[in-house]
Amino acid sequence: MMLLEIGGIIGGLGAAVGAGLAAIGAGVGIGRIGASGVESIARQPEAINDLRGNMILMAALIEGPVFLAEVICLLALFL
Amino acid sequence: MSLKRLLIVSILAIFCTQFAFASNPEEGGKEFNVGQHLMHHVLDSYDWELTEYKTGEDSAGNPIYGHLAIHLPRILYSSEHGLEFYSSTDAMRASGKYEVDSHGHAHIGHAGSESDHDHGPAVYDFSLTKTVVQMILISLLMLWIFGSMAKRYKKDPNRAPKGAQSLFEPIVIFVKDDIVAPNLKERTDGFLPYMLTLFFFIWFSNVFGLMPFNSNIMGNITVTTALALLTFILTNVNGTKDYWKHVFAMPGVPGWLWPLITVLEILGLFIKPFALTLRLFANIVGGHFMILSLVALIFILGQNGQLAWAGIAASPIAILFPAILMLLEFLVAGLQAYIFTLLTAVFIGMALESHDHEHAH
Repeated sequence: MMLLEIGGIIGGLGAAVGAGLAAIGAGVGIGRIGASGVESIARQPEAINDLRGNMILMAALIEGPVFLAEVICLLALFL
Repeated sequence: MSLKRLLIVSILAIFCTQFAFASNPEEGGKEFNVGQHLMHHVLDSYDWELTEYKTGEDSAGNPIYGHLAIHLPRILYSSEHGLEFYSSTDAMRASGKYEVDSHGHAHIGHAGSESDHDHGPAVYDFSLTKTVVQMILISLLMLWIFGSMAKRYKKDPNRAPKGAQSLFEPIVIFVKDDIVAPNLKERTDGFLPYMLTLFFFIWFSNVFGLMPFNSNIMGNITVTTALALLTFILTNVNGTKDYWKHVFAMPGVPGWLWPLITVLEILGLFIKPFALTLRLFANIVGGHFMILSLVALIFILGQNGQLAWAGIAASPIAILFPAILMLLEFLVAGLQAYIFTLLTAVFIGMALESHDHEHAH
């Protein structure tokens, strides 16, 4: 019984830490996109429309694996 | 005219099923379980729950909650009983032919058993669930809005847009010029109807999912899987010779590397729609979880009514933050529709491309 409870706590902790790590990854990735996106816009303000679309697309592509990680964390928490 | 009447009758048939007032005694006395409530909110169900209300108290003084819900019809097929219709899950249970488990799924014989391997005879369940009904309603709304708009354009193409036209015409132009045309080039006109349907269906579903009493369709992974499957089929059916050449014999790569590259490319074919599925699903469910957990703060801190002052103290935060998050979610609703449509267009565009020249990737 004790072991089961400890297992449950570790499972919850693992899910929380995993969610945090995935968020760090997304933060770094999207931050880099934002940094170089703004830099490019500063260099070439007339290309802002193309750059915006590409920034959103890249952010969406980064989100894919992050959300995969988050869903796995949710499953670890609730199942 | 008769088609319209049929539509009205079928909508009425869905909603003339009874409002059910049922109390669920096993929930009384328990602490407020956030996880359970959140999951219950985002999952599909066989009745359309409108609200919970207090029906009474058990012997220890803990409140017992009942559900006010619209019961949705059940349609079942099994080799034992044939095709059957019931007005609600309760009516199905009352017939005695099926046993119902805690999720509302119908089984023949084995409802009590915990074993996953032995479900008894197969029951094919075509019931209208909450998600299905919401999908039908949104489709009808879209048919109505865009059908009437199309009729007006056909009647007088040169008249200035009016009413809903003024709202949707720029969006249609945006989807055409900024999403579809850059990727599909000369094939734009052929794919535009599907892309517009996709965009507006996802957008409408997401926006309606944010409103009270609505079900969040795109927070249901089966729906997003179906949409991504359509993308997968469209991509591969329209694949040119060059597209398949890039999968099975990548030009510019030495022959002995082909087996490895081909395995990766074939995996890639499936990973693309899989990522589409998860992105849309997780964005919508994640947004709902964020808002719901903040609202749930009231009930967590108030400990189910025992510490009412703490719940009241938490409520300004628990109302203000979700209000701001709602604005963010409203943006995400459109953004996800944009991204799903854009990626579908990109994938199909990649499959349609034909290369006149040899080049290395």
